[in-house]
Amino acid sequence: MILPLILFILGFTLLPVLQCIFYSFQDRITEEFPTLANYRLIVGNPKFGDALKNTLIVTAIGLTLEMGGGLLIALLLTVSSKIKGLFRTITMIPMGVPTIVSGVIMLYIFSSNGYFNEFLYRIGVIKLPIDWAQGGIRTLLMVAVADMWKVTPLVVILLLSGLESIPANIYEASAMDGASPYQHFFFITLPLIKPFFTIALILRAIDAFRIFELPMVLAGRNTMFLGTYAYSEYFDYNNIHSSGAASTILLILIAIFVFSYVVTVGAKEGDE
Amino acid sequence: MKTAEKTGVVLAEKKVDQKKMRAKVKRVLLFLSIIAIILLILIPIYLLFKISVSAPQDILTQHPPFLIKNFTWKHWLKILSAGQIWNPLWKSVIVASMVALLGIIIAAPGAYVISRLPKKIKYGVLLAIFSTRMFPEVGIALPISVTFIKWGLLDTNLGLVLAHLIRVLPLMAWVLTGTFDTIPRDLEQSAVVDGCNKIQALVKVVLPLSLAGLAAGAILSWLESWNEFTYAIYLCLADTTLPIKTYYYISRGNWFESAAYAVFLTFPVMIITFVLQNYLKSDYLSGALKY
Amino acid sequence: MGKVLLLTMIKGIKKPKGRMFLMKKAYRLLLGLVILSLLVSCTTMAAPKSLKVIMGLAEEEWNVMREHIFPAFEKEYNVKIEAYQTEAQDTEKILEARAKANRMDIDLISQDNMRLATLVERGLVEDLSEYRSLIPATVIPALVDVGEFGGKLYFLPYRPNIEIAFYNSLKFAQYGLKPPTNWDELFNVARTFKEKEGVARVAIKADLSPCTTVHLFDFCRSAGGDPVVLDDKGCFEAFVFLQKLWPYLSPDSKTANWNFMNRHIATESVYLGQNWPFGMNVIVKDGGKKEVLAYQGWRGPVKESHVLGGDVIGIPKGAPNKALAIEFAKYLMSKEVQEKLATYNGWPAVRSDAYGTVEEWQRPYFDAINEALKYAEARPNLLYWDAVDKALGEAFREGVIEQKPVKPALEKWAKFIRDNKR
Repeated sequence: MILPLILFILGFTLLPVLQCIFYSFQDRITEEFPTLANYRLIVGNPKFGDALKNTLIVTAIGLTLEMGGGLLIALLLTVSSKIKGLFRTITMIPMGVPTIVSGVIMLYIFSSNGYFNEFLYRIGVIKLPIDWAQGGIRTLLMVAVADMWKVTPLVVILLLSGLESIPANIYEASAMDGASPYQHFFFITLPLIKPFFTIALILRAIDAFRIFELPMVLAGRNTMFLGTYAYSEYFDYNNIHSSGAASTILLILIAIFVFSYVVTVGAKEGDE
Repeated sequence: MKTAEKTGVVLAEKKVDQKKMRAKVKRVLLFLSIIAIILLILIPIYLLFKISVSAPQDILTQHPPFLIKNFTWKHWLKILSAGQIWNPLWKSVIVASMVALLGIIIAAPGAYVISRLPKKIKYGVLLAIFSTRMFPEVGIALPISVTFIKWGLLDTNLGLVLAHLIRVLPLMAWVLTGTFDTIPRDLEQSAVVDGCNKIQALVKVVLPLSLAGLAAGAILSWLESWNEFTYAIYLCLADTTLPIKTYYYISRGNWFESAAYAVFLTFPVMIITFVLQNYLKSDYLSGALKY
Repeated sequence: MGKVLLLTMIKGIKKPKGRMFLMKKAYRLLLGLVILSLLVSCTTMAAPKSLKVIMGLAEEEWNVMREHIFPAFEKEYNVKIEAYQTEAQDTEKILEARAKANRMDIDLISQDNMRLATLVERGLVEDLSEYRSLIPATVIPALVDVGEFGGKLYFLPYRPNIEIAFYNSLKFAQYGLKPPTNWDELFNVARTFKEKEGVARVAIKADLSPCTTVHLFDFCRSAGGDPVVLDDKGCFEAFVFLQKLWPYLSPDSKTANWNFMNRHIATESVYLGQNWPFGMNVIVKDGGKKEVLAYQGWRGPVKESHVLGGDVIGIPKGAPNKALAIEFAKYLMSKEVQEKLATYNGWPAVRSDAYGTVEEWQRPYFDAINEALKYAEARPNLLYWDAVDKALGEAFREGVIEQKPVKPALEKWAKFIRDNKR
């Protein structure tokens, strides 16, 4: 029963991925293999350190915001009853917006005379517009918030399906035992939705590491990310080899993150 | 005595009142936070809508107003009357729905098997399935698309559906494995004891219990396909999808048309999630547990 | 209703009339089908062929093509032109995927001349050297050079283009400023806006995409430098000037490409910026910003120079209807079509003998284009163009945005170009 799934995914993707990794170890001009020239080119660029740092920071900020916000919304969704359907539908909308469109929306909001600056200006906080694309933590924060708008629904929906799968009688039982809401949340709800939390976190982490479209629209290519490297080396500079190297570095980075998360957190779960 | 009794009653009443008050405050707070979240989610969409129904002078200024001042349907009429919106809409809806459906059909059996594997192997298999999603699409979208083009699937719905499934299946497999994990094995076994065979047990017990997860997976897959862009560029030319059409207006700088297109994109999303989210309820689970 | 009708019909047919009859009937049906399919295939053979074309055009430009350009050709050659919209950066993707799958279905492309090297290097377009004689003698020579790589002609000229400088005339008037015509004036204008408003209002396209490269070519060349060499005196002078100018340039420069530049100008976040002429349709015609005017731009210390842009025609390798595509290319270069394109689209003509009469509102912008065209310089066509592109972007990032010493930055990236020469 598992074969169609595995065959479908690996059948189409395994070869292209391996090919891409192969290219990353092949010299662009002499076609010599194996070589580390492409990695040297990328890592040697002074911007690589920044790109790595930016990727890690934006992932960390983004994941915190998204998981926190997602959990909050999911909890609110299980509590409220009357406008639940409407609320749920509204929460899902941003996910249906293509990234390229969400980039444009966010540029309306965060460009130097965008609506956010306009808002700050009207309430008298600022006189002159803030340059959100200036670089540094300010820009990373903007990118993380802009990304959060679009991707939090994914977290919400996963956590929600986790919350909804908690049998009602467990709540009843704990309420009868006189558990406070906080105890209830930390000792019953959280452990029960942990598998869903893990799924959501890993899914989001993988996409967060690969971010490139949104920052490219919002900050140009001045604030680099590893994903931007992989993209622009290939599409701007016609270099499949260095692009492959950037992709491979990203793959390793993501694999390390996921693996260490699964080992440290997943192991604590114990066997059910 | 009497006064003591009376104060006791009053105290008790006060306590009840306080409790009521607290509950009320809580409810108001809850309500307010929900409203705040809804606003935060809707503001970007509202801004787009505002742009799509505003006369140019409201948008093209240093200090744009937050409310709609000079209202006009002009831009909407333009995109609707050009007649180029319906085919892409239809294509996107069909492709996304087929992706969600096929995704469930292919991923559900696999995910069920994975969820019943020993823990260590389970994570290994899941990560292997997911490893291809960890690779940036930049390098692999081309060779994958080439395969489909070789098969003659250029400009067909099928080609795009197959391409989208590659992105969607790992996601689906994760979500469904998580769902099946929450269903106790005892339930199945007790069904088998009750005289069901294995398949019957799956269909009658496991399937209804996993409806919430299936719905979550379907929504995610539908949305993922709906906003997909990279493969659509490779595989569709004559017969494009809605995101590509929107991208055209964006990259040509048609601010008002692109805003209208972007708002238009969200309508089917609302309909689909509104319909599918009914299955996210837990009723199924509690019902089955009683059985 | 219909269902019932259908059922009775089927029943009617199904009345038993013996085996022989049924077989005869089946035979007749088969025969009929064969004849019908023959007929269908005949008619499809007789029907006009189609020519598949991809171009990157705005909606108004598509209308002009469909109404004024395509029909005459379709009629003459009895062919249907299937034309599809593709942005320049996607043309490579679309052609490469089809070429690798061995299923080229596109006959002709029109492509931005800033993105040609990749097409040639990946072997996606036909060598058109043998058709060189088709290029009319009156075509501006620099436009022919644009399509040449290593002595071979890969692209045919069809539309020249050049950047013009858009400026907000009301804001300029408000501070008593004139559109700058040289570097000193440019610096003064930029500084004045920043001092008066607290926000810088002059922008360049500095998103470090190929758009930035175009600007840098203009700056370096007008100081007498060669951007492909990069560490010569002229380039040094240009980068030093840009470094000095940068603090007075709008923060929106960082997100400005050929698309968002229009938006920044239209929303009055930027008062002066260079962009391709299509900006007039978006900013002035659709956006109603009549106060945004245009002129040819500024000159440098040595000369005035603007990169010659535009679209060229290419034929994908393995195109199914190459002969017809060549005819279509010839048609697009003809005087008749060039005059129509000038008249309806406001595009400058590719040949010196074609004149269009543009709409009244377009006239000032059209004049600016023609003025700028006098100082047009084609970019060199190098197969290692991507290295030049990257080096210029990185040198700009280090020397201008990060305000690091210019000389080492230029030397470093000049070496990068030399190392990647092919």
